[in-house]
Amino acid sequence: MKTLLGTTGGRIGVALALLALALPFVVGDNRFLGFVLGMTLINVLWAAGMNLAYGYVGLMPLMFAGIAGIAGYAMVHLTREGWSFWLATPVAAIGAAVVGVLLGLPSLRLKGFYFTLCSLVIQTVLTLAFIFFPKYTNGDTGLSQIAPPDWFGGQLTGMWLDFVLALIAVGGVVIVALIVRSRLGQRFIAIREDDILAETLGIDVTRNKIIAFFIVSLYAAVGGCFYATYVGFISPRAYDVLVSLNVWLMVAFGGRGTIIGPVIGAAILAPIPYLLQDLQALRDILYGALIILVILALPGGIYGEFLRRRRKGAQADDSAKLADQRV
Amino acid sequence: VSDATLLVLMSTLSTGLILGAIFALVAAGVTIVYGCVWLPNASNGQFFLLAALVAWSFTDLLGWGSAAATVAVIVLGIVLSLGLEALLIRRLYDVPNRNIAYFVLTLGLTQIMSGIFSLTYGKWSDQFTLPPLVQGITMLGPFPMPNNRLAVLVISFALLAALFLLLRRTSYGRALRAVFQNREAAALRGVNVRGMYKLSFVLGSVIIFLGGVLFALAYSFDLTVAWTMSVTAFAIMIVGGPGSVLGALVVGLVFGFTQAVVSIFASPTAATFSYLAAMLAMLLVKPNGLFNR
Repeated sequence: MKTLLGTTGGRIGVALALLALALPFVVGDNRFLGFVLGMTLINVLWAAGMNLAYGYVGLMPLMFAGIAGIAGYAMVHLTREGWSFWLATPVAAIGAAVVGVLLGLPSLRLKGFYFTLCSLVIQTVLTLAFIFFPKYTNGDTGLSQIAPPDWFGGQLTGMWLDFVLALIAVGGVVIVALIVRSRLGQRFIAIREDDILAETLGIDVTRNKIIAFFIVSLYAAVGGCFYATYVGFISPRAYDVLVSLNVWLMVAFGGRGTIIGPVIGAAILAPIPYLLQDLQALRDILYGALIILVILALPGGIYGEFLRRRRKGAQADDSAKLADQRV
Repeated sequence: VSDATLLVLMSTLSTGLILGAIFALVAAGVTIVYGCVWLPNASNGQFFLLAALVAWSFTDLLGWGSAAATVAVIVLGIVLSLGLEALLIRRLYDVPNRNIAYFVLTLGLTQIMSGIFSLTYGKWSDQFTLPPLVQGITMLGPFPMPNNRLAVLVISFALLAALFLLLRRTSYGRALRAVFQNREAAALRGVNVRGMYKLSFVLGSVIIFLGGVLFALAYSFDLTVAWTMSVTAFAIMIVGGPGSVLGALVVGLVFGFTQAVVSIFASPTAATFSYLAAMLAMLLVKPNGLFNR
C-alpha cells in the first residue's frame, strides 16, 4: 500500500478507483447519467484489455469488437436457454477467447502492419457473419429485450448494476497492472521492444503472444457480455470495426503502455457519443480527427505527455539543485 | 451456342472487363503509394466515393456534362492530395515503422470522410447516377452494349496502358522503381526521394479518383461502395504483392471477373467474402504476394 501511494501514478490510480466505485451512488437514480457512467465503465474495461495488447505487447488487434460480439451473442443465447447470466458470461467469454485465439493464431507471426491488416480482415468477416447468419443474430435488426443480470431471484438493475460494473472495471485495470509487473508482463514488454532480441534471450515469442491474445480476448468478451445485458440490445453495428478502432483510440489518446492513461482516455472519450445524442456522424468525424491528432502530435497520449513533461521538470529541478550546490 | 447463353456470356464478359479495369486502376493507385511511400491507404474507398460524388454533384446539381465533371474531379484530386501531403502525410516520411502509423492515420481519415458523407450526401439519395458520357448502343452480335460503358472500358484500359508506359519508359518511372527497391541507394544516385514520395502520393490518389469517376459513369452507386472498394483494393494489393503494379493489374482483372461471375449466382457480398478469404490466405501463406518484386 505504501509503495502504491508512493508514486504519482499510484495515487492517481487509487483516486480514480475510489471515484469509479463512488460515482454510481453519486449519480444515483438519474438514469441518463447512470447509463453514460455504465457505458464508460465498460469502455474502461475494454481499454484496459486493448492496452495490454497495444501498449504492452505491441499488437493492434482490430478484431477486438468481433470477439466481444461472439461472446455477447453467445451469452444472450445461453441466458435464453435458462442459464444464469453469471454462469453464461464466463462460459461465453472463455469460448469467445478460445475462438479469438484460434482466429488470431495464424496471424500472430505476422508483424506490424500485416498483423493489423489481418485482424481487420478477420473483424470484417466476423461483422459479415453477424449480418448473414440471422438465425443466431437476427441480422441487421439485432437482438432486443435482453434481460438485465439475474440476482438471487430478482434482477440487478440501476445503481447496483452500475456499482458491479465499477467493480469489474477497477478489477480489470488492477489485473492488467499486476500482469504488467509479473514476469509474464516483463516478457510481453520485451517482445514489444524487440521481438527478435526477445527470441534470442530464450523467450518463446509466439507462445507469449498467444497467452497475451487469450487474456486480451477475455477482456473483449467480458465487456461484450456486459454491454449486451446493460444496453439490452445488440446488433452487428454494436460490435463492428469502428468499436475496435474507438477502443484503440481511447488507449492511444490516453497513453499506451501506462496503466492510468487508457482509463483517462476511456473516461474522456466514451461519454462523447451520448452527449452528442443522435449525431453519430459527428462522433465519427471527431474520433477520426482525434486518431490523426494522436498519430501526428501525441504518440504517447495525454498521460504519456504528462509524464514526459514531469520527468523533464524533475530533471530541470535536479540540475537547478546541482547548480545551487556548486555555488 | 444459343443466343441466350451468348447474351449471358457477353454480359459477364463486359461487366468483368469494366470492373476488372477499374479494380486494377484503384489497386494500382494504392500499390504505387504503398510501394513508394510505404503508405497503405485505407481511405482509398472514400477517395473513390468522393470522386464519384463530386462528379455527381457537378452533373446533377450544376448541370455540367460528364466530360467536364471528370476533368473537374481530376483537378480536385490533384489539389486534395497535394493538400493532404503538405498537411499530414509529409510529417511521417522519416518515422521508422511508418506503414502502421499511416494505416491508422488513413483509418482516421476514413472515419472523418464517411462521417461527412453521411451528414451531407446520406440525406440526399440512396442511389446516385451520372448522365452517360456518350449516347447510343452498339450491337455486338446479339448483345446490346451501351456506348457509354464501351467508352468507360476503352478509357480504363487506355489509362492502364498509359500507367504502365509511365512506369516502364519514363525517367519518372525509373526513379519511382528505384525508390521502390532501395530508398538509400536511390537517394545516393541523386533521386529526390521526398519529391518522389509526394509525386507518387498525388499520382496514386489521382488514379483512385479516376477509378471512382469511371465507376460512377458505368454504374449507379451508393455510399456503401466506399467500404467494398477499400476491401477489394487491399485484397488485390496483398494477393498481387504489395508494391507490384503488374500484380495489381493481373489480380484486379481476375477479381473483376470473379465479381461478374459470382454476381450471376449469388450476391456481390459473396464476392467480397471471397476477396477477404483470398487476402487472408495470402497473408498467412505468402505475405509478399504472388508478384513479389
